[in-house]
Amino acid sequence: MSDNTDKKAIPGRVDELAAEIRGAKILIVDDMALMRRMIGHCLEKGGFTNLYYAEDGQHALDLIDEDIPDLVVLDLNMPRVSGYDVCRMLRKQEATANLPILVQSASETPEERVQVFDSGATDFVSKPINQPELLARVCMHLENKFLIKNLSDFQASMRAELAMAREMQHSLLPEADNLAAIEAEAGLTFEAFYRASFELGGDLWGCWQMSDDEIGIYVLDISGHGVGAALNTFRVHATMARFEGLRHDPAAFLSSLNTAVQPAFPLGQFVTMFYGVLNYKTGKLTYSGAGAPWPLVISKDGEVSRLDSSGTPVGIIFSASYDNKTAQLKPGDSLFCYSDVLLEAPGKDGQFLGEDGLLDQVSRLADEGARTEMVDRILKEFYATLPGALPDDLTAVAIHWGAEA
Amino acid sequence: MEYRINEADGNELNVVFTGDITFSENVAFRQLLKDLGERSVKKCVFDLTAVDMVDSAGLGMFLIAKEQADTSGWNLSVTGAQGHVASMLKLTKLSDLLQS
Repeated sequence: MSDNTDKKAIPGRVDELAAEIRGAKILIVDDMALMRRMIGHCLEKGGFTNLYYAEDGQHALDLIDEDIPDLVVLDLNMPRVSGYDVCRMLRKQEATANLPILVQSASETPEERVQVFDSGATDFVSKPINQPELLARVCMHLENKFLIKNLSDFQASMRAELAMAREMQHSLLPEADNLAAIEAEAGLTFEAFYRASFELGGDLWGCWQMSDDEIGIYVLDISGHGVGAALNTFRVHATMARFEGLRHDPAAFLSSLNTAVQPAFPLGQFVTMFYGVLNYKTGKLTYSGAGAPWPLVISKDGEVSRLDSSGTPVGIIFSASYDNKTAQLKPGDSLFCYSDVLLEAPGKDGQFLGEDGLLDQVSRLADEGARTEMVDRILKEFYATLPGALPDDLTAVAIHWGAEA
Repeated sequence: MEYRINEADGNELNVVFTGDITFSENVAFRQLLKDLGERSVKKCVFDLTAVDMVDSAGLGMFLIAKEQADTSGWNLSVTGAQGHVASMLKLTKLSDLLQS
């Protein structure tokens, strides 16, 4: 690039971009050989080398059909097909709908200008050719084209990356097959929803079958959201796998998880979490909390009570300790865990819903239809009251134990 | 979220917050910490009486403030939390951490 020293910078243009756009392919269309040569010479002096020529409108359309240029410098009055018609035809085709077309013409009445732009031209240069003007306009339209292309390429690749990351993250969630197997074995029904507020989320939940008639269930929420929080879900998920041996003891499980991730967790980031072990033969629930929103137990006849899930969130204090608590479920009871975004929904008085509001909502909706569709009703109401986009990641999981669907 | 810094006494500051303290206040909160870092403080109290809501990112900001207080040798505490803010602090046991 820079070895060709006679290519001087074009006044008023960014050098880095100039280097990129000089490789652009430009089609020059004019029925007069002298004009083609003049325009070509002018562009060559500006450093453009990838030029090709057409002698009339039809010739131009044929060439463009074979190979689409980056920009066209187009004469208006030509035999066979006029410049106006070339513009119109190019705009009709998707591949050339946005191709920069620079129209050049001798007569320059306001009416003609209107006609030129109406037919789809991008811009206008006067004839006889004013060399610096032609060069400036060619550069400007090529710059626009390349900038837009770079930007949309970048966006497309970011979108693809995020879509892939999103798929990877969704693979951390329980698989439908596994859940179905647990449902069949343990005589319960899951109702689970997960939605990230951004492409990637900081929420996660999971469930595993253990020996001795027990299942373990966790719901966690990593502070913040977006890419940073999402990366931390992978960290936490991988770390949890190391403590398989402690799964039957929720407090020990949380303590070990905390000790393992705390040194690596950035200041100000942490995990609120609930982990419970349910004996599906006896209904005994042993659980431990790390500051997750209170899980709710909804009894068979619709009474709602809360479980104490308070505790130091995982990742803050190395020496944090956790306690086991127990609750007794009865057949037909439901356990409902959720992320705090549900509490942030607007309530009746313009304030947000809050713990009490959610409790009322759940007890109102629990048996308005089938119990096994309770979460569905809660979320329908949540989305209906949400004024805009989802402000944070949403997870809502219910276990309906011994419920007849 | 908005905040006002009141000088209570030579080395003691009172920061009065109003509005919600959420993820989107990250920049404003960091500016506050920078302001605090530039003063010679011995003791600082975050007054949350007029705060309606705090989310997990907001709690994270308190932790960052606490860390800055510990390393720069000043004392940070929060006061006045009520409703949702109080229950969030209690739920996460940060109320214990942010006392003293």
